[in-house]
Amino acid sequence: LLACSSAAGSEMASGMQEKQYTPSLLSFFIYNPKFGPREGEEEKKILFYHPSEVEKNEKIRNVGLCEAIVQFTRTFCPTKPAKSLHTQKNRQFFHEPEENFWMVMVVRNPMIEKPSKDGKPATIEYQEEEILDSVYGAVLRQCYSMYKLFNGTFSRAFEAGGVELLRQKLEKFFYRYLQTLHLQSCDLLDVFGGISFFPLDKMTYLKIQSFVNRVEESLSLVKYTAFLYNDQLIWSGLEQDDMRILYKYLTTSLFPRHTEPELAGRDSPLRPEVAGNLLHYGRFLTGPANLKDPEAKFRFPRIFVNTEDSYEELHLIVYKAMSAAVCFMINASVELTREFCEQLDALVGPQLTLLASDICEQYNINRRISGPEKEPQFKFIYFNHMNLAEKSTIHMRKTASVSLTSVHPDLMKILGDINCDFARVDEDEEIIVKAMTDYWVVGKKSDQRELYVILNQKNANLIEVNEEVKRLCATQFNNIFFLD
Amino acid sequence: TASREQLRVRYGHIIVFLQKGPLVLVSASKSHQSELQLRSELLHVYHQIVSMLTQASINRIFQCRKNYDLRRLLFGSERVLDALLDVMETEAGFLLSAVQCLPLAPSTRDTISQILQKAITPNLVLSILLYNGQLVSIVQEKMVIEDARLKSTDLHLLLNLIRASSAFQTGEIWTPICLPCFNPDCYFYTYVAYLDPPDCTICLVLLSTDKDAFYAVAECKRKIEEGVRTHNALQCISKVQLCQVCHVGVAELRHFLFKPLDVPDHHSQLPQFTSPEVEAPYSTEEKRIYLMDLYWHLHSRIHSTLRPIKLLYHATQRETLLALVTGKFEMYACFSPLVTKSTAIGAVTKLLRWIKKEEDCLFIRSPPKYSTTPPEARGFSNSRVQTNKTLFGTI
Repeated sequence: LLACSSAAGSEMASGMQEKQYTPSLLSFFIYNPKFGPREGEEEKKILFYHPSEVEKNEKIRNVGLCEAIVQFTRTFCPTKPAKSLHTQKNRQFFHEPEENFWMVMVVRNPMIEKPSKDGKPATIEYQEEEILDSVYGAVLRQCYSMYKLFNGTFSRAFEAGGVELLRQKLEKFFYRYLQTLHLQSCDLLDVFGGISFFPLDKMTYLKIQSFVNRVEESLSLVKYTAFLYNDQLIWSGLEQDDMRILYKYLTTSLFPRHTEPELAGRDSPLRPEVAGNLLHYGRFLTGPANLKDPEAKFRFPRIFVNTEDSYEELHLIVYKAMSAAVCFMINASVELTREFCEQLDALVGPQLTLLASDICEQYNINRRISGPEKEPQFKFIYFNHMNLAEKSTIHMRKTASVSLTSVHPDLMKILGDINCDFARVDEDEEIIVKAMTDYWVVGKKSDQRELYVILNQKNANLIEVNEEVKRLCATQFNNIFFLD
Repeated sequence: TASREQLRVRYGHIIVFLQKGPLVLVSASKSHQSELQLRSELLHVYHQIVSMLTQASINRIFQCRKNYDLRRLLFGSERVLDALLDVMETEAGFLLSAVQCLPLAPSTRDTISQILQKAITPNLVLSILLYNGQLVSIVQEKMVIEDARLKSTDLHLLLNLIRASSAFQTGEIWTPICLPCFNPDCYFYTYVAYLDPPDCTICLVLLSTDKDAFYAVAECKRKIEEGVRTHNALQCISKVQLCQVCHVGVAELRHFLFKPLDVPDHHSQLPQFTSPEVEAPYSTEEKRIYLMDLYWHLHSRIHSTLRPIKLLYHATQRETLLALVTGKFEMYACFSPLVTKSTAIGAVTKLLRWIKKEEDCLFIRSPPKYSTTPPEARGFSNSRVQTNKTLFGTI
């Protein structure tokens, strides 16, 4: 919105626009009331606080307020702790991932700054109802999951090295991780925390399975394997909850950091080396960047899985060839030597390269059969709670920074509202909305699956919209969704 | 207007805080109402307290004594607030900010309105006749309409106050009542009597600005009683057939709320809505609350402040709901879960047709007026503010 100053020779036009501020992180802290129960000891409760420059007493006050709110709400509902606090200017989200350990995220509400007019100061209007609890609550839970993936649980760190060790780990992890949060682009997909699966024919799937079996047999140290192609999962030996957070790490952090060497020019130093007679495109994404250099030091990131029962600490080896990536997870107590890496490279490199070409070829054949991938006619999001499979034709490539959507953010929020309504009851339901812009949004929930379709058919009525969605379900979802 | 820092905490339960002047109101709820709706309920509770004490006196008391225990003044009126909380859960009037009229043939209603219109006395500003809480007739003083409009909230609170106090059912009552949305700082003097004891279904309410006018206002009541007897109006009223959902002619339709929006402003009528009797499967108190809760939720989605929508269709295992808002009306309909989309959409057309046919009976289009205020007495804000407790006088 730009209003031009009309008076001749007057002051600049800046300050005449309405400025929209998106939601942003105000503060993030982690505390345990048991660590400082007595008066005067409040500072001991605080395990991590961002921004760190905040004055000590203010930190104590903010933590104290959260404690009070949790206590207060317990009187109404002893079994369910407080989840969020809404005020005019911000929202606070609470999460107790482990007993007595609390994580709090404070998000500033989106606001509109209206320019100063007629000598009156600029006014700020807070949009209190804008952000969805379900979305940011999920983002907060994911912060914990990601921390736990690389650091194990809070309790274990405390047991191993007391409050000091825990504080160090939290500081090291969250200082960096919080910078990667892009709160302005969080949406329904964050609520799902799903995994995009790569569509495969049975033959190719079996080839991949047998590849994994062969490697696991030859390299007996490998405990778990996961196979991805093009940022999409094909196979995983990990538990669902562990895989979903590992998947998020791979697709939003690790993969985007590594470019494709085979796309590099002939003289580029990134060109793969010829090893003996075999040319393969395999390389380590974690661990040794250059196997040729015997002096180069390397280490693999450690991850923690099955924290509820067996609590395993593993080396995470991520090995890639063209568009195929394999994760090998090995017990962290084992020392992984250069010899081991060379062995793995020699074994996996050529096989994976071949497999990657096979998959690519098969994929192209399938596409040719099913017809050219024209602009997908339906804008939809699909999620299956049982296997965490997620598909969106609305989101363009999701990178570490921003997830671009091809629909207006208000429509995405309507999807979020529908998802909240679905979450209330565990039954099959259908919700259809006609937005103010005359876009139609259809949400269907059936048997643990959710489908959201956005239709740009302004003159259609409910019946026509219903027919359109039926058509989509028939082609893409094989009549999973049965409601009329 | 509500205070700016409003906290709300949630997990399954929502806890909402509202600050109005020196009072802080807190609500803890398990329902599906949104934060805004709960806040508006708290505001109604606040207004009900104001209707008994006036805002000016509440503010003044706390200014003098910050630790004053307001329960001392509210003693005896807990029943009113309890009744308000109950009625907000089951009646659509609060949700829609509108009142429901008794469906009455226009000729009958006109006759009754004329009776009310003629029974006046100086300083009388409002005459209302109700049957079981539904509006039969409402006649307002001309100047009152010019100064400010009577809001549906005030009427709801007034009716709640009357209904919740069983003392009102014996004889005639003369009591100060504040209409908070109209003017939160002064009292009107309210005459309440039932025209059909002991059934007590037909209630006459007359409001005056003169606290000493009891006898004059009681005389108005006698004139009204006489007029009503002459025209046999009481029988007409009690024989009225209430709306039933089957009248609309859609088998799967279980219940609906309909509020017309295209009301020309100069008619200054109270916003009104219509709705049929609640029938199975929502006949029990519990189910009525459940149904209203569904409507509350539809309403909050349709009228969402930042992303309002035009239409919402929600099919569940228990019922199918349809909410629709246009420039001309808003409606909320509840169908059996087996309804098809085409039937549901068809029902909208049938309902609109039925409403059009019956609208003269269902709505009061232009409320009649009278003139009682002598020119020099204009300006209600000059009225003396009462600080004593509510007076209940039985004569």
